[in-house]
Amino acid sequence: MSIHNDEHESSHKPPTRKEMSRRQFLTYTLGGATAFMVGGAALPMVRFAVDPILHKKGAGTFVKVVEASKITNEPQEFTFELQQQDGWYSSTAALVAWIRKDESGNIYALSPICKHLGCTVDWNKNANFPNEYHCPCHNAHYTKEGKQLAVASAPLDEYKVMLKDDWVYLGEIIPNTIVK
Amino acid sequence: MFKNVYDWIDERLDITPIWRDVADHEVPEHVNPAHHFSAFVYCFGGLTFFITVIQILSGMFLTMYYVPDIINAYNSVEYLQTQVAFGQIVRGMHHWGASLVIVMMFLHTLRVFFTGSYKAPREMNWVVGMLIFFVMIGLGLTGYLLPWDSKAYFATKVTLEIANSVPIVGPIIKELLQGGSIVGAETLTRFFAIHVFFLPAVLLILLVGHFIMIRRQGISGPL
Amino acid sequence: MARIDKSEEKVVFVGDSRVRKGNGFITPPDYSAYPGKSEAFIPNFLLKEWMVGVVVLVGFLVLTISEPAPLGYPANPSASVIPMPDWYFLFLYQYLKYPYASGDWVVLGTLGIPGVAFGGLLLAPFLDRGKERRFYRRPIASSLMFLSLASIVYLTNVAWTHYVDELEKSGQKPEHIQRVEEAREKRAQGLPTSNAIKTKEISIVDKDDPAMESYKKATCISCHAADLKGGAGPSLRGIGDKHDKEAILAIIHNGYNNMQPAYDNAIKAGLTDEDIDHLAEWLAKQKAEQ
Repeated sequence: MSIHNDEHESSHKPPTRKEMSRRQFLTYTLGGATAFMVGGAALPMVRFAVDPILHKKGAGTFVKVVEASKITNEPQEFTFELQQQDGWYSSTAALVAWIRKDESGNIYALSPICKHLGCTVDWNKNANFPNEYHCPCHNAHYTKEGKQLAVASAPLDEYKVMLKDDWVYLGEIIPNTIVK
Repeated sequence: MFKNVYDWIDERLDITPIWRDVADHEVPEHVNPAHHFSAFVYCFGGLTFFITVIQILSGMFLTMYYVPDIINAYNSVEYLQTQVAFGQIVRGMHHWGASLVIVMMFLHTLRVFFTGSYKAPREMNWVVGMLIFFVMIGLGLTGYLLPWDSKAYFATKVTLEIANSVPIVGPIIKELLQGGSIVGAETLTRFFAIHVFFLPAVLLILLVGHFIMIRRQGISGPL
Repeated sequence: MARIDKSEEKVVFVGDSRVRKGNGFITPPDYSAYPGKSEAFIPNFLLKEWMVGVVVLVGFLVLTISEPAPLGYPANPSASVIPMPDWYFLFLYQYLKYPYASGDWVVLGTLGIPGVAFGGLLLAPFLDRGKERRFYRRPIASSLMFLSLASIVYLTNVAWTHYVDELEKSGQKPEHIQRVEEAREKRAQGLPTSNAIKTKEISIVDKDDPAMESYKKATCISCHAADLKGGAGPSLRGIGDKHDKEAILAIIHNGYNNMQPAYDNAIKAGLTDEDIDHLAEWLAKQKAEQ
């Protein structure tokens, strides 16, 4: 950044080698001072702004939903509440899960949000689709494992399930792992 | 690479004279603290500008978290100050910078006053400078309310009562600033709009005027 | 990037236009009349200016790191806080307390004197029109300024000492200091330190209590909903703030407003008196504040 014009310097000092390095020194010092001032003022602000992406994502909290003994082979609807902390705003989200255990006794919970366009599916409510999850919006329907049979492009999402002291705990929503 | 791009633009828009004019303009010796230490009094104008830049930047960053709403204003300020990394520093910069800018501006004003630099032909620049002073005071006043803590609330109530005591137009000014009959939700959004949009816009226009006039007229001579 | 100045003698145009190339954005002022040398703005002068800037910035950063910006408690119109403006308004604040600036003279106080003072300051160049620039040769302007400065310092000091006195008399601490101390204590005890205004909904107390089962069995659920949030009937969350156990038992037995007595249904559903007693006890525990 040698912005300085030569005529000026040479007007009162002979243009020697030493003079050149002095000017370079000035330029470097000015650059350094500029960098310090910009950095000192702006770095805290930048760190402040990017804070959300540097926050550690919590391992996901699990919510106690139902006793394991109540889970049958038939999917049942359970509602549970999730405390959400969104910055300074805390809220409670009411979530719905359809929980059943399969033939080998594994418990899994499906989210009733249709993978087509986000309506809410229901179990065994539509006479045309017995023992299936059916979405009233565009007739998407799913097997009890959540496998899509029509319209939708992906199986129903499931909740992370944790069993503790014979209670079922549900965690965050993950893509379906039961059907491929 | 950079040079080629620069040359390409310069060929078309002839931008060199603009920045060369700023970079190469001569600064007389009597304002240079390296020659006479007493010349440091000439630094206050530049420092005011530097702090103003910090104020604008930190203010922009603060609005990433701040909400001008009577329930969330305090919550968001508390959140950004205690939960967000460097939040305490960024809010500190804005808070202390507000005081510092007043101090620097005050010293700059005194320097100009006592060196008689406002005299002909620089009268207009003095007037613009005083207007900047009033805008800064206004920024301080409106910004004080925004965290919506008790101190801010009561200070604003008092300020609006003072405005109210002006004859005839007083009650109108008060209600206009207050946006209703009490200091509340509407007052906060109004003060926010004034603090963040209206006054900074006026400030920037005045600053540009201030600087152009300084460059046109040059720095006032030594005493 | 040292560029050779092309503007020799001949007229230079900008590009292919007829706009004449000038000497620069603004004609540089001539400082040759001033004694001493002058120097270029960049890098010579700016470097000195920015050395001062760096020192100020370091001091400023130290201040912001060591001293957090004050924050009190959420605004509360019924709080007993001594109102304080920011420090640079203190002199005006104090001055308005004086007899000739308040009461019947309030117009003089709010408009008259500040109007003259700030108006005079604004129009200083037109009031002080002499050629003399040295302050000791301008006795009127300088003495007025010194007088104003002295009164600003005096008034600010009076306002501040008064405020400190008031605090001491009323035994109050400024809210921002109180908040920090309280937060420190809470942190030491492992409690949350936030003073944020909560709009959080009331949660169910003791969700796993057997009473929850009785509640479902006794058909309360059909009107008050499984999550106690209410439907046909009102929400039962936080009901303990409104009614105690006896009152709740009475409501179960006798009904309330539009509610039919629920006791018989509950017995029919297989609950015992003991269950109902426990249910009432549990409902009385449903308080918003824990």
